[in-house]
Amino acid sequence: MESAIFTQALREFLRLRRVVPWVLFSLICGALAFIWPKFQPDVTHQGQYVNVIAIFVFRMVALASAILTTAIVSQEVEQKTIVYLLTRPVKRSSIILFRYLASVIVMGGISIFGLLCTSFGAHLGFSNELLTKDILAVVLGSAAYGAFFLFISLILNRSMLVCLLYAFAWESAIPNLPGDLYYLSINSYIQGIAQHPASEDANRTVTVAGGMKSTALLSSTTSIAVLILLSVTLVVISMVWFTKFEFVPREDAE
Amino acid sequence: MIQIQNVSRWYGQVIGVNDVTAEIGPGLTAMLGMNGAGKSTLMRLITGQLLPTTGSVKVFGMEPFANPEVFKRVGYCPEIDNFYEHYTGREFVHFLGRLSGLTNAEAKSRTEEVLVEVGMADRAHKKIAGYSKGMRQRIKLAQAMIAQPDIILLDEPLNGLDPVGRRELMDVLGKLSNEGKTIIVSSHILFEVEQMTRSILLMHRGRLLARGDLRDIRALIDRHPHKVRVETNNPRRLASELANLTNIVSMNFERGDRGLALQVQEPDAFYTALMDIALTTDIEIGGFFSPDNNLESVFNYLVHS
Repeated sequence: MESAIFTQALREFLRLRRVVPWVLFSLICGALAFIWPKFQPDVTHQGQYVNVIAIFVFRMVALASAILTTAIVSQEVEQKTIVYLLTRPVKRSSIILFRYLASVIVMGGISIFGLLCTSFGAHLGFSNELLTKDILAVVLGSAAYGAFFLFISLILNRSMLVCLLYAFAWESAIPNLPGDLYYLSINSYIQGIAQHPASEDANRTVTVAGGMKSTALLSSTTSIAVLILLSVTLVVISMVWFTKFEFVPREDAE
Repeated sequence: MIQIQNVSRWYGQVIGVNDVTAEIGPGLTAMLGMNGAGKSTLMRLITGQLLPTTGSVKVFGMEPFANPEVFKRVGYCPEIDNFYEHYTGREFVHFLGRLSGLTNAEAKSRTEEVLVEVGMADRAHKKIAGYSKGMRQRIKLAQAMIAQPDIILLDEPLNGLDPVGRRELMDVLGKLSNEGKTIIVSSHILFEVEQMTRSILLMHRGRLLARGDLRDIRALIDRHPHKVRVETNNPRRLASELANLTNIVSMNFERGDRGLALQVQEPDAFYTALMDIALTTDIEIGGFFSPDNNLESVFNYLVHS
C-alpha cells in the first residue's frame, strides 16, 4: 500500500507540466553562469558558479518546494481527490510520509539538475570540487523546505501564498539582516553546508542577493544537524496533525 | 454493522446532522432527502472523514475516523465528480485497489472484474478527463467495489446515468445486497429509490425524519389528495370522462383550455383509469405529471400529518 502511495505521488510530481518549468529554470541558470563574465569580466569559473548557485539555484530549491509541497495534501483537498486517499485502509501518517518522500526526491532531483547545469555553464563540469557539498546542501534543503511547507499547508488554508512569501521575501531578507536573525532562515543553513569560499569577485549586491552573509557564520556540521532535525520534527508533527484533524474539501464542509 | 448514536455534526453555526440515531444492517438501505438534508454529512461520518460534534458512530464496533481497520471493509463512492483526470479509468481503479491493500496482481485482476461489472471494460483505457458523467459514475462505483467490501456507501450514484446505466447499476446493487453486503445509497429522488429498495432513512434538515418501509410512506402520501396535471387537446371532454371516477376530488380547467389540473386520491387507480381513457377514446393526452410526486411533498405530508 505504501509503495502505491509513493509511486502514485512520484508519478504525480513528475508530470511534465510540473517538472518542465524547473528544467527550463535550471537551463537558464546554466546559461547565466555561462554569460556571467559578460557582466563581470574578471570573474573566475568558480566565481561564476558560486554566484549563480547562491542567487538562483538555492532560491529555486525554496520556490520549487513551496509549489511542489502544497501538492502533498492541500492540492488534493482543493481538487477534492483527498477523499479517495482518506477512505482507504492506509494510515494517514503513511500518506503524509510517503508523499513527502516522493516530493523530496523530485525536488532534490530538480535541484541537482540545476547545480549540474550551472556547473557546466561555468565550465567546471563534473570536476567541480564544490559539487558534492552543494548536492548535500540542496537535498537537505529540499527536505527542510518540504517539511516546513508541508506543515504550513496542513495548518493553513490557501497556504501557497504564505509558502511563496516565505520562499521569496523571508528567505531573501532574513539572512542579510543584522544580529542572529539568520538562524531563522533555512537558506542560511544551506549556505552553511555549501560553505562556498568567499568569492573575492563577488560584490556587495551579489552577496546580499545570494544571502551569503551567513555562510561563514554556520559550520557545515551544525547546518546539517539543524536541517535534519528540522525536517524530521516537522514531518512527524505533520503526520500527527494529519491523523488528528479533518481534511474535507472546504465547500463540502459548509 | 453501523451504529449511529445521537450524532450531531455542526459546521460552525450551521448544523449538518442533528441528533441522528440509527442502526443499519445488511441489505440495501436508501438515505432519502433533499439537497442539504445531511445525507452526505452522515456518509462522511460513517466513512470516517468527519468527526461527530456529539454522539458516536461505530462501524463494526469501531470508530471510523482515520481508522484503517474500518476502511478495509468499507467501500465509498463519493458524490464529488473529481478524479486524477490524467489517469485512465483502469489506472485509477487499479491504484485505489492497491491502496485498499490488494497486491499488484490481485488489483489487476479485480480491476478487470469490476470494470466488467460496471460496464466500463471496453472504455477504461481512455483518460478520465474525456469521460462523460455516466462513465465517471461507473468508474467511481468500480473503485468502491474493488476490494469486495462488506459495506458500500454510494452518495447519489445515479446522478448522470442514462436509463440503461441506472438499470444496470440497480441490478449490480441488488446483486451485492443479495450477497449479504450492506449497501447504503443516498438520493434525493423518490422514484429512483423506490426502484431499488423499500428500506429507507428519510432525512430532512439534518434530522432523521422517518425510517422503515417505503410502502408506509407511500400509503401516507396516498391518503392525501394528490395533484396531477394532464395536458390534452380537449380538457372539457376529458373532464366529463373523468367525472365518473370516485377518486377525483377536484378539477380545474387551465387558461386557454390546454390542460386539466386535478386533485385525486389513490393516484395509482387514477393513472390506470387515465390510460383506459386514452386507449378507448380519441382524446389526445399530451402528457401528465404530478407536482406532488417528489420528495418535498413527502416531507410536507410527514411534517404536517
